[in-house]
Amino acid sequence: MALVLVLLIGVVVGGAIGVLIARRAGRSRDDRGRAGSHGEPLKDDIPLSVDVDRETDAELARGLRSAVDRLQMGVVMCDATLKTTYRNAAANALIGTHGGVIVDAHLQQLFTDTQNGEPAGSIVELQGPPKTTFSIEAMPIPDGGAVATVEDISERVRIDSMRTDFVANISHELKTPVGAIAVLAEMLADEPDPTMINTLSSRVVDESHRAARTIDDLLELSRIESSHRLDDAVDLDTVVAEAVARGRMAADGRRVEVESIEAPDQVWIRADRPQLSSAIGNLVENAVKYSDDGGLVQVRIRRNERWVEVMVADQGVGIPAADLDRVFERFYRVDKARARQTGGTGLGLAIVRHVANNHGGVVSVQSKEGEGSTFAFRLPARLIVERPAETAPSGSRTTLLPTKVSMPDE
Amino acid sequence: MTKELRSNFHDQLAEIGEGIARMSAGVTELVPRSTQILLDGDLEAAEYVILGDDEYDATSIVFEERCFRVIALQAPVASDLRSLVSAIKIIADVERSADLCVNICKAARRIYGHELDANLRGVIQKMGDQATVLFKEATEAYLNLDGPRAAALHDMDSYLDDLQRQFIQIIFESHAAGNIDLQVAVQLAVVARFFERIGDHAVNVGDRVRYIVDGWVPAHPYAESDNEPPDVVDAGVDSGVDADGG
Repeated sequence: MALVLVLLIGVVVGGAIGVLIARRAGRSRDDRGRAGSHGEPLKDDIPLSVDVDRETDAELARGLRSAVDRLQMGVVMCDATLKTTYRNAAANALIGTHGGVIVDAHLQQLFTDTQNGEPAGSIVELQGPPKTTFSIEAMPIPDGGAVATVEDISERVRIDSMRTDFVANISHELKTPVGAIAVLAEMLADEPDPTMINTLSSRVVDESHRAARTIDDLLELSRIESSHRLDDAVDLDTVVAEAVARGRMAADGRRVEVESIEAPDQVWIRADRPQLSSAIGNLVENAVKYSDDGGLVQVRIRRNERWVEVMVADQGVGIPAADLDRVFERFYRVDKARARQTGGTGLGLAIVRHVANNHGGVVSVQSKEGEGSTFAFRLPARLIVERPAETAPSGSRTTLLPTKVSMPDE
Repeated sequence: MTKELRSNFHDQLAEIGEGIARMSAGVTELVPRSTQILLDGDLEAAEYVILGDDEYDATSIVFEERCFRVIALQAPVASDLRSLVSAIKIIADVERSADLCVNICKAARRIYGHELDANLRGVIQKMGDQATVLFKEATEAYLNLDGPRAAALHDMDSYLDDLQRQFIQIIFESHAAGNIDLQVAVQLAVVARFFERIGDHAVNVGDRVRYIVDGWVPAHPYAESDNEPPDVVDAGVDSGVDADGG
């Protein structure tokens, strides 16, 4: 009985003490909470300014992190033991690809190189496809460690090489005929034989035509580059029919079939007529020039709700994969020897690309060496117009005479 | 103490994996480079590739040694053991593929100065592209330990095999037409074989990746029968089926 009494007293006293302690703790928490909510400084806590600094630091770090994540270039940091401590989103995107492994290997090397306190850099070329070039720059950080940027400079490299090639090529294209004319003229001066004089002078004429053609095409190209006159209503079928007719003439003795597969309904588009006719003409002539004897060139108009497309497919020599993305550059030649035979100026496809750009469209090519090439000239569907009322009925479609005869091969 | 040892062990595993991924990524670049060297007849670049092969040989020996040491000293089990055993085999496949790229570059030296038909060049480019894609997939499957991706390599390889057969046919045609002489024809036939082998090595790497991921092994006719190879001398081609039945 006494034992039970002692236990009871123990529980009651213990409970009372417990409640007291809990109350006190609760009150002090309340006080602090109230003080905080009224914005009063807490006297016996750590000074407020440090708290604010820490908070802004964390906020700044968060902000910086999210800003660096939005950069297009990769940013990678390492500590003094050369262990990677941070990668931004762009650098993380490379992880798990074979290119990422190669870039990482270079990063590791560069981080090691920065240990002597000097910045280090290297260029990494990946074969692709598509061919990619990365520029990696690493800088030492005073407190130890290093930071590196990884930048995709493929486009810059491509444009640079295009620019240098253009200067080299234009000099070459103009110098060759002029040099030939000079030599031929010297020979003419000392030539007594009248038949020889005939041959030589006809060569002089040929070479001057060649130079003139190059200059004409250059002028046309610069005119196309600057003008945007999309106010003709053009019947695409007629333009294609003219191009096909000219293409047949360019076959020049070889048996090359040119066939056009017309769209089910006539397509009228708002475009610059001479430009369009020059672009499609160039595509068809090219296809014929690079076709072998007995080859077939197909021209087809297709449309869907987004595009109107003129496709020109040949079964000719095709374009090596390495040259595929460069054929639209001015004066770019896949095969220099063949270019002289076919007599082109090297500007045809550059003109085509500019016309496409002017009309808000694109030109693309698919090709396999030895199997032929397919060029797709696409214009946006918003250029499609209702057939104008004042034009002659569909009979005019079959007119094969070109409105503007610009035949570089005559 | 134990924890430190284990973390050291996992660092070693990661280092080996990284080293192999680097080699494999390097070969993924080497395949298209060699293809381009062959097509362009770029002798200088060929020399670079040929000289660079020593590094692959040296690295492969270094990492093989490391695998042996880790197996001997750490007695790994389960997936750790699978990844180390596979690493040894993958190293061999990658190193061999680098050799094959060197062989392609050497072939480029031998056929230097001979014009190739456009359709021959076209198929060389296609074989090079396909071999590159195969090796890239194998490398990335290993890097991400992606079993399904590794499993897809078999189908991709059969396209490369088709290209090789097609290429041999075109060599015959080109030779018959008098466009290439016998010496070049033979060199090209061998080159086709190199590309085809590179593809096979990539498939092997893929198979090892599947083994690492889930212990998958290629099905063999006698895989079930206590791993006893069939009696080849007596039974001939169908023996595998017999052994399976018995």
